[in-house]
Amino acid sequence: MASEKFVIPIGPQHPALKEPGHFEFNVDGEIVTDASVRLGYVHRGIEKGAETRNFVQAEYLVERICGICSHVHATAFCLGVERLAGVEAPPRAQAIRQIVAELERIHSHLLWVGVAAHEAGFDTLFMYTWRDRETVMNLLEGITGNRVNYSANVLGGVKCDIGSEQAEAIQIGLNFLEERTRHYLDVVSSDAMFLRRTRGIGVMTREDAERMGVVGPTARASGVPRDVRIDAPYLLYAEHPVELVIEEAGDLEARFKVRVRELFESYRVIRELLTALPEGELTTRIPRRIKPAETISRVEAPRGELFYFIKSNGTDSAERVKVRTPTLPNMASVLVLSVGHQLADVPMILAGIDPCFSCNDRMAVVKRNGDEQVWTWEQLRQYGIEYYR
Amino acid sequence: MSTLTALIALLFFPGGLIILLAGLAYEWADRKLVARFQNRIGPRWFQPLADIVKLLAKEEVVPQGVHPGLFVTLPVIALSGALTAALYVPLFGLAPSYSFSGDLIVTVYLLSLLTLCTGLAGANTLNRFSLIGATRTLTQLFSYEAPFLLALLGPALAAGSWRISVIADYSADRWLLLAQPVGFVVALIGLMGKLELPPFDAPEAETEIVAGALTEYSGRGLALFRLGKGVELVVGLTLVAAFYLGGVANPLAFFAKTLALLVVLAGLQSLLARLRIDQTVGLWWRYGTILALVQFLILIVWEGLVA
Repeated sequence: MASEKFVIPIGPQHPALKEPGHFEFNVDGEIVTDASVRLGYVHRGIEKGAETRNFVQAEYLVERICGICSHVHATAFCLGVERLAGVEAPPRAQAIRQIVAELERIHSHLLWVGVAAHEAGFDTLFMYTWRDRETVMNLLEGITGNRVNYSANVLGGVKCDIGSEQAEAIQIGLNFLEERTRHYLDVVSSDAMFLRRTRGIGVMTREDAERMGVVGPTARASGVPRDVRIDAPYLLYAEHPVELVIEEAGDLEARFKVRVRELFESYRVIRELLTALPEGELTTRIPRRIKPAETISRVEAPRGELFYFIKSNGTDSAERVKVRTPTLPNMASVLVLSVGHQLADVPMILAGIDPCFSCNDRMAVVKRNGDEQVWTWEQLRQYGIEYYR
Repeated sequence: MSTLTALIALLFFPGGLIILLAGLAYEWADRKLVARFQNRIGPRWFQPLADIVKLLAKEEVVPQGVHPGLFVTLPVIALSGALTAALYVPLFGLAPSYSFSGDLIVTVYLLSLLTLCTGLAGANTLNRFSLIGATRTLTQLFSYEAPFLLALLGPALAAGSWRISVIADYSADRWLLLAQPVGFVVALIGLMGKLELPPFDAPEAETEIVAGALTEYSGRGLALFRLGKGVELVVGLTLVAAFYLGGVANPLAFFAKTLALLVVLAGLQSLLARLRIDQTVGLWWRYGTILALVQFLILIVWEGLVA
């Protein structure tokens, strides 16, 4: 009987979720027997919006897709558009883009450690990581003038330079953060009470990870060597590579360790880039109209592979911009992994993929029995207009 | 005891109003300490009082599908249980207002009334978070209750009485903490379990089940439950300090010892990650109860040999 099921709804409004999403967990006592998800509460139509604006405007728009990893979105978009236009940003601009990208990764991973610890009821770690995260946010503010949506990129380069004074401030900040990160690595890998909540929980084998196509730190925690910075280097990642951080266990502990250990790689690469910052221009000229062509551009966001498809049509705006954020491929793993676990572990398993709901939300049509249909573009457009009237 | 002094003892001092205020003050101290340990500023001194005043002023929403009578009475029973328990313990370094042979057992069960009412309140509603929270609350009750009682019976056995005032007098000139260290640890951690403080806050784990059994409560009901919890914190700390820390013979000793215990509690709250409910049960029955029992047996044998 369907009515015999005891369903725990998590969301759209729930303290465990920082953004709206709807999960339904069937539980038998405390054990989860089935899980389903419904996304799409915060779909904002940014892809469509990017198509109706010119490339320069669209760059600032796509930066708003994610509040945490805004810079990688702009970078992916700029790299794509620059490739379509046949220009390349000057080396100094690329180095600065990479520095900001790695600083952003530091900020994102520290944020994640805090949120995931909070889901486990370990608020002290939450407060401490967020306090230290302020350091890197101040550094980003020092470089770009903004704490969150940095707008460091412009098409064909970057808008802000890193002088020797800022370089020194970054070094000092990184020294502090590196020391703190060592402590956090110690905490997540040796705190006995915390390990009771992470070790052996939400185990995803390498086969599962490959089958479900997970990306980013979630995949690397299951022993899948998958990192766009290494597999298909962009910016200056070929000259100043990061080392692959990988863990074999596939449980929550491994996901904590991968992310915290990645921080050390980020510190190292930023230092390397700061000492070998190429001289030269910050921007290069880029034509306003771009001849018809299409391209894909992939970058490694803090959460995993970020994928952009951009098609130009000879005007100053894109014909089509398609974004796939890393949360989308990772989301399915939450549903698979929660089954068989205790309800208490579910928020941690969910947080383990570092979900970002509004980034990944897209239009979803719920198929009810008997009204399956193919919609034409015009119908879809009309539906959109009617829906928001 | 004349009627007037009895009424004063019940309503104002040391029971009633003063113990309610003391509960709020201790709740504030706990929150402030945890906040400082976590590198936060923490609430201002009147915050718990302001919360209660606000809650009392608010409308109490009785949700559909509940037994309205139970919904309204349960918080009252919970608070009155905690307040009654307060009459039998040596609050503020004074002798207990009332005392009879065996009042230790009565007090411990009056303290459990709050947890029981919380569980019933959760089970009374149709809210799924409340139901899960109620199950967890009652599961947790069954796991810490026996070891907590055993830990309090240790001093009773040593004093040869089940009357709180006699035990308090007996332990006033010796630190039973040194003679029965296991009992002290079990009593302190049992108190954390009773009050659902982290890491034993699975019954109200906000990231899983919102506010647990009390999810549907608002306004007066929630205020009474929170007051009850504050009273229970003070009563529990008093019991542990009186039994294990060389007694609370005067107000100075009372405040010094209970606040010292509170600092330890706050430190544990900030140091430890939340336990799952199965881990809580496992911890208590695998270690807490066994250790408390072993110490209890040793005590009995020792008493038997000496006597």
